[in-house]
Amino acid sequence: MWGTNLRIVLVVLGTLALYTLIANKIPQVQSEVPQTLTLGPNVTTEQLVAAGEKVYNGAGGCTTCHGLGTRAPNLLTDEKGQGPIGARCGRREPGKTCKQYLFESLDNPTAYVVAGYQPIMPVMTRQLPPEQIWAVIAFLESQGGTEDVTGADIPASAPPSPPGGGGTGAGGVAGGSTDPMTLFRAAGCVGCHKIGAEGGNVGPDLSHVGARRSAESIRTKILDPASSTARGFERFAGIMPKTFGTTLTAAQFEALVRFLAAHK
Amino acid sequence: MSDVLLALQAAADTTRAYGEFPVIGARGAVWVAAEVHLMFAAFVLGVPLFAVVAEAIGVVGKDQRYDRLAKEFTRLLLVAYSATAIWGAVLTFLLSTLYPRFWAYLTAVFGPSMWAYVGLFFFESFTLYLYYYGWERWHQGRSKVVHLGLGVLLNVWGTIVMLIANSWLTYMMTPPRDITPTTDPASIKLWHAIANATWMPINIHRLIANVVFGGAIVGAYASYRFLAAKTEEERAHYDWMGYVGNFIAISALIVLPFAGYWLGREIYQYDQSMGITMMGGFMSWLWVIQAFLIAVLFLAGNYYLWIGMGRIPGAERFRPYTKYLLMVLVLGAIVWGTPHTMIADARELAAMGGSHHPLLGALGVMSAKNSAVNLMILTTFLSFLMYRRANTRPVVPWARTGTWIQAGMFGVAALVVLYFGIKGYFVEAIVRIGYSVYQVGAVLACIVFVTTIDILMGRGAQSLGAIRWGKMPARSQYALFVLAVTFTWLMGLMGFARSGIRQHWHVWQLVQDTSKYAATPALGYAAKMISACVLIFLTLVAFVFWLGGLAEKSTFVPSSEKREKEGARVGH
Repeated sequence: MWGTNLRIVLVVLGTLALYTLIANKIPQVQSEVPQTLTLGPNVTTEQLVAAGEKVYNGAGGCTTCHGLGTRAPNLLTDEKGQGPIGARCGRREPGKTCKQYLFESLDNPTAYVVAGYQPIMPVMTRQLPPEQIWAVIAFLESQGGTEDVTGADIPASAPPSPPGGGGTGAGGVAGGSTDPMTLFRAAGCVGCHKIGAEGGNVGPDLSHVGARRSAESIRTKILDPASSTARGFERFAGIMPKTFGTTLTAAQFEALVRFLAAHK
Repeated sequence: MSDVLLALQAAADTTRAYGEFPVIGARGAVWVAAEVHLMFAAFVLGVPLFAVVAEAIGVVGKDQRYDRLAKEFTRLLLVAYSATAIWGAVLTFLLSTLYPRFWAYLTAVFGPSMWAYVGLFFFESFTLYLYYYGWERWHQGRSKVVHLGLGVLLNVWGTIVMLIANSWLTYMMTPPRDITPTTDPASIKLWHAIANATWMPINIHRLIANVVFGGAIVGAYASYRFLAAKTEEERAHYDWMGYVGNFIAISALIVLPFAGYWLGREIYQYDQSMGITMMGGFMSWLWVIQAFLIAVLFLAGNYYLWIGMGRIPGAERFRPYTKYLLMVLVLGAIVWGTPHTMIADARELAAMGGSHHPLLGALGVMSAKNSAVNLMILTTFLSFLMYRRANTRPVVPWARTGTWIQAGMFGVAALVVLYFGIKGYFVEAIVRIGYSVYQVGAVLACIVFVTTIDILMGRGAQSLGAIRWGKMPARSQYALFVLAVTFTWLMGLMGFARSGIRQHWHVWQLVQDTSKYAATPALGYAAKMISACVLIFLTLVAFVFWLGGLAEKSTFVPSSEKREKEGARVGH
């Protein structure tokens, strides 16, 4: 009987050892906690690049999509013969430097969606503090290009701006404007939703949203995007920012709600 | 100062938020306590399901073997319940001393449900005592039905207990969206917190998984008793018990992925970034490990069946086919385990020559993987069917036609799976996802209709000889051990996936983990923790089994031996 017991123990331990060994042989990826970077105006380019690489591969979560080449272009390798992102970023949009293009891509990702990919990238300026944003830009520039981010860029970008780069705070977006269409563009709604001929198709077309929803329902949906999901858009659930209640002023918010409710 | 401000002030104070535990740290201590408690909980929820169904089969089919089987397992439950409660207490004390602030938050939201939980545990325990100790007293007639009712009631209490505990952990993953970090936890309506987005999918998933787990542990117990058996009669009984355990585990396993699919869908709908983290983010390699484990389950389950056919007269006619079944299983496992959507750094991408391996990239996509797993399920079902029919020859006049119809159904199901698998390469992802429903539908329809035909065709079938229970080589029993260890390890791995996707949040986007253990560890560390937990659990379960044998002799004390002893006494 002792022989049988020993064989059972060996089978159990052998099975456990095999699974543990395999799990330790595959690439080890740990989910990092976002950390505050203290990069002052005197930070060197090398420090920025090193910090950016850490954010890119860790807390920024960039590799979740950009490390695959299926959900988003892989930024660290060649893309259609144009080289890695540092080499191609300066040629992506006429009149924009690499640095400008990269910042806008992080600040308003739906503005420049590479053909063949879905506009699913979240607004990174909402997710990461300015130091980390600029560190990531410096790191991306270093991938085949010239790093020209300096410490001077960092304070210039604070506080983080909403999609469209309109600025936030007590004055709301778009300099406090209450013109609904200006708000619709400045708040970034246009990146996902269409009104008339303008806008993206990540979210439902809002040209006739007033016929489907009451003003109260629109208000609720903007403040709490997860409260409901339009049929056919389930796969994009969770993408809409939940922050419009704080980034828009009360007057702007109500102007936008009335504007949308009137689109019957 | 309002309560909210007090709560905010408390939130800012991280110095009293966490305690420390020697050697393995606070996270490690809670991990082990939670995982081992969960494994015992799955055992004490899965086995009563198993026991009451076995008792019911015994009553309906008037087969005493099932009744004895049910009683034997209920006896083990008595000790296992204590172990579950002890580990539950360990977990509670560790949480309240190592994560006091988080624990205070949970109790503020769920306090009343915790009282109900404890109350139900009393009902559950006393129902179990009545169920076990009343077995012989209420063993026939109407009283047997009452006894069976006690078994059902035991399962009802157990399921409610599980539903309550599930609400706590699912709230940590998917708290309702209207709750913000500044919401006073005491102001959150209890039912609102309970009925969160993943509560019901987890309930269903765990219910099925408990049946799988119960079956696997029953199989391991039976194999141990088989190997230790001293008489043919005892060996025959535990051989039969092992078969029943394996049958239940594999049958329930086949439907488990659908419950998992629903859970995954709910996670994506709740928060896309959480879903991406789970399937394509830092956890993407986990699914390759999972594919390997499930391949082991399929191979070990089928291997056990094929060896088992050696003790069935008439099974020889099916044996030549097993090598083809093995080929399908191995190829399916290779395709399913092909890595594809993985995070890779620049060096790895350069070594691979692109974002995917040039040769294997095409096999790693969902079209290929879904096709592979569906064909593996069909193959396993075919093994069961051959096993089932091995010692019978149908005598109904339409037997030949029926067999051809069955073969046709297998063929059609395989073709549907392959057709949509290939077509999936040429359509967009959103269309491709829909194809998996057609593939699964074809396989399930095949299983249901082929089984129905088989049952009808088996009426009055000619027997080619009784199954020679007990005539199994020892290696078959080790396959059952591998199944039990793998199921348990898989449970630990999936627990890590479910819990790990919260990353550095105790409660997703509401209560942040600011301890030094906030980063979610890589798979290597997780694997060591899982193996440690499985080892602790299996060691304790082995102790429970041993105690079960110590407290009461097996109900299968061989009658021949008894007669010999009695004869010897008479002779003296």
